[in-house]
Amino acid sequence: MTVTLQNPLREGLRLARTPEPACLVIFGASGDLTARKLMPALYNLALQHLLPASFAVIGSARRRMTADAFRTELHDAVAEYSRTRPINEEVWATFARSIDYVATPDDRSYDDLRQVLARTDAEIGANGNRLFYLATPPAAYEPIIRAIGAHGLRGESGWSRVVVEKPYGYDLQSAMQLTSVVQEVFREDEVFRIDHYLGKETVQNILVLRFANSIFEPIWTRQYVDHVQITAAESLGIEERAGYYDSVGAMRDIVQNHLLQLLALVGMEPPAAFDDRSVRDEKVKVLRALRQIAPDDVGSLTVRGQYGPGFIEGERVVGYREEHGVAPDSQTETYVALKCFIDNWRWEGTPFYIRTGKRLPKRSTEIAIRFRVAPHRIFTREASEGVDANELVIRIQPDEGISLTFGAKVPVQGLRIRSVNMDFGYGESFMVDAPDSYETLILDALRGDATLFTRRDEVEQQWAFVDPILAGWHAGLQKLASYAAGTWGPEQADELIARDGRSWRRP
Amino acid sequence: MIDEAFWGAQATSIDALERELARLRRAAVAHARERGQTLARASVLNLVVYSEREVHARRAARAVADLALRHPSRAIVLLGDRDRDGVVASVQLHCHVPQSDGAKPVLYEQILARVRGDFDERVASVVIPLLVPDLPVFLWWTGTPPSDARHLDDLVTLADRFIIDSADFARADRTLPEIARLARHRVAITDLNWARLTHWRELIAQFFDVPAWRPFLDGIGGIRVGFAVDMDGRDIHPSQALLLLGWLASRLGWRPVEALAPSEAGGLLFRMSRGDGAPIMVRLRPRFERGLDAGDVSGIRVQATHGRDTAEFVIKRAPDERHATATAIIGGVVRSERVMPLPALGIRELLGEELAIARNDHVYEVALAALMALA
Repeated sequence: MTVTLQNPLREGLRLARTPEPACLVIFGASGDLTARKLMPALYNLALQHLLPASFAVIGSARRRMTADAFRTELHDAVAEYSRTRPINEEVWATFARSIDYVATPDDRSYDDLRQVLARTDAEIGANGNRLFYLATPPAAYEPIIRAIGAHGLRGESGWSRVVVEKPYGYDLQSAMQLTSVVQEVFREDEVFRIDHYLGKETVQNILVLRFANSIFEPIWTRQYVDHVQITAAESLGIEERAGYYDSVGAMRDIVQNHLLQLLALVGMEPPAAFDDRSVRDEKVKVLRALRQIAPDDVGSLTVRGQYGPGFIEGERVVGYREEHGVAPDSQTETYVALKCFIDNWRWEGTPFYIRTGKRLPKRSTEIAIRFRVAPHRIFTREASEGVDANELVIRIQPDEGISLTFGAKVPVQGLRIRSVNMDFGYGESFMVDAPDSYETLILDALRGDATLFTRRDEVEQQWAFVDPILAGWHAGLQKLASYAAGTWGPEQADELIARDGRSWRRP
Repeated sequence: MIDEAFWGAQATSIDALERELARLRRAAVAHARERGQTLARASVLNLVVYSEREVHARRAARAVADLALRHPSRAIVLLGDRDRDGVVASVQLHCHVPQSDGAKPVLYEQILARVRGDFDERVASVVIPLLVPDLPVFLWWTGTPPSDARHLDDLVTLADRFIIDSADFARADRTLPEIARLARHRVAITDLNWARLTHWRELIAQFFDVPAWRPFLDGIGGIRVGFAVDMDGRDIHPSQALLLLGWLASRLGWRPVEALAPSEAGGLLFRMSRGDGAPIMVRLRPRFERGLDAGDVSGIRVQATHGRDTAEFVIKRAPDERHATATAIIGGVVRSERVMPLPALGIRELLGEELAIARNDHVYEVALAALMALA
């Protein structure tokens, strides 16, 4: 690290910290992710004055294209996908001046990229600071990382960092292989593995709820918690992603990364500090304590489903196997339900039920902490008929918020008790647009804060949990169940939780 | 006469007023339920607005109503009416629960307390029972706060935050030091005029995040700040420009050399000195700018040297009133030029911003102190 003088004008809580001057190199610049997520996020950061005064974006992809054509493409993409609209042409015009494009169809062309980088760097005074963003399909990760190393794309001074998109590997072995290639060029603390769920405001709020308040943590244990349910429901099908999705399925697409991260945040011990090392140390401890589901147990602890035809919001939709680009006999799962245990002092014996699916009735991601019922019943059975166990629900999307149910006396003569809901809505309480998760994550990567990114050992633990389940499925130890689109998943999932005398929430 | 259509029905006592509010809340909840909505009585703060003219009270009430969705509150508008000497001191209370048409209905309560006659001693006793317990109290003083006044002191003592707008002060250079003294009540003071400067401070600070330009910050030799005046140029309100200068001086350790001196056309021209003793020429220039409110900063130019290099950092509001151009000129060559959004902020945005920050702003206080040293 080079030592730079402090900027005394930065002091004060109103001024957000902007990153140091830097060049951002996007590989896969002609792709969907760049158009839908990255450029709209960068443009919105520019609008909010959050980009450094000296900043350049260099797009790179195989396609030959002039920088002007690239800028025009991005302009149209931002106009379509930005969360703030219409596009502010004045701001875009000067922001676009800092955008360049270099085609990298072959190995030699990376030398052109190096020259453009060196020239841009000198022009804007970026001091060699570089952020490489891999927004390509995963097959291109390794060749690009090797090229960054072989062609000396890292700056001679300043910092270099790399952002790797999901999926990070296909299983434990390929993830470790990818890491070993990455580490030929980058140190682990220079690697930022994106799990965009972690950039969501409400996901960060899980940590705030748990560790900035004193009333929740004492009851956040097996003594008080009956079980936990984590749900990530989508009403969408696979849209245009058939080719990719059919080769991975819901387990690799959602459970391995997003749901296990949510589970880790709910289950982790309090970190000593809110920094990348402490937070990720605690998360990886939980992941390590997650009880393995061996191939032989997949019959009793897992459910895999695939949607058939049905109705979503009144519209008829086709089944998975009829989707364009999906094999008519595809065995890929679009629904997963698991019953997991965390084998540690805090959670011994407390089940964590997690489920995700496509073509469920509505889009909803939430975490529900179900507490035990009151130990001794002092009210008559008739009076307490309407009472349920307390439940704390953290809604992640949409309609972000937190609610707590508890029993209250119905205001009539005599005693009747009913469950009521105490509800906190993010929208109503703050009335500001939450930043998009990509804005948060790009800014964090530019600042070098890795707290919201996944570390190598986390990714490996996640695969280590998922691999044996996939192996059991592959060995035919759990049949693929089917469910109609627009329902809450296969019957087997209801049975999975009903065996324990519990039921899924209706999100 | 009080416009009951705007301020709600009159109540005879504080008890009656609370009963009426409870009734109105129930009615609003029932009404919302009929439309299939749930209505939250989310209260985040008590907002006490003090004004001595009904137009100001109304304007404030409207701003608060606009903000209710972001910062649901109980708003207590105090309307002080001193005109009638000899009138027996009286308190008149009105309340209502405004209905929002928005998609997300939130209850907020508005109370008007009109105090007449010799009310200085009794005004706090009206406010105290009206405050919702356990919620912070924000006091928004419209107009110029009087110096050494009982009612001001009493209300400030109740408040956690004291909100003023130094743009409204007739003589900002005299009133601001008075305000600074209120800090003895351990109340956090915020100035909406300071909030207007946040974007300017951000853009200035960003120049010096660039390591290569950072050394120029220690070599500033000249500052020019432009601020807007009315077409006739009679009323000069330099308080915003002065605050910006106070901020730079306090952050960079500049010292006053000579007192503020008027220069041509209502501007100010004077010298300060850097920590290393080198002089800094400061010029605050009023100019007519279409679309800006009198007093708003319209541009800043910072001249600096480092070794043999010279640099100029310029931020200028664009004629469209919504943008600013930030330019860095190093050795006579433009090295960076960005157009950034710089929307003119209304009372609503400014107040919303203030309500979001729940503590005093140390940077403002030292900027104010630096300014007082000049006066």
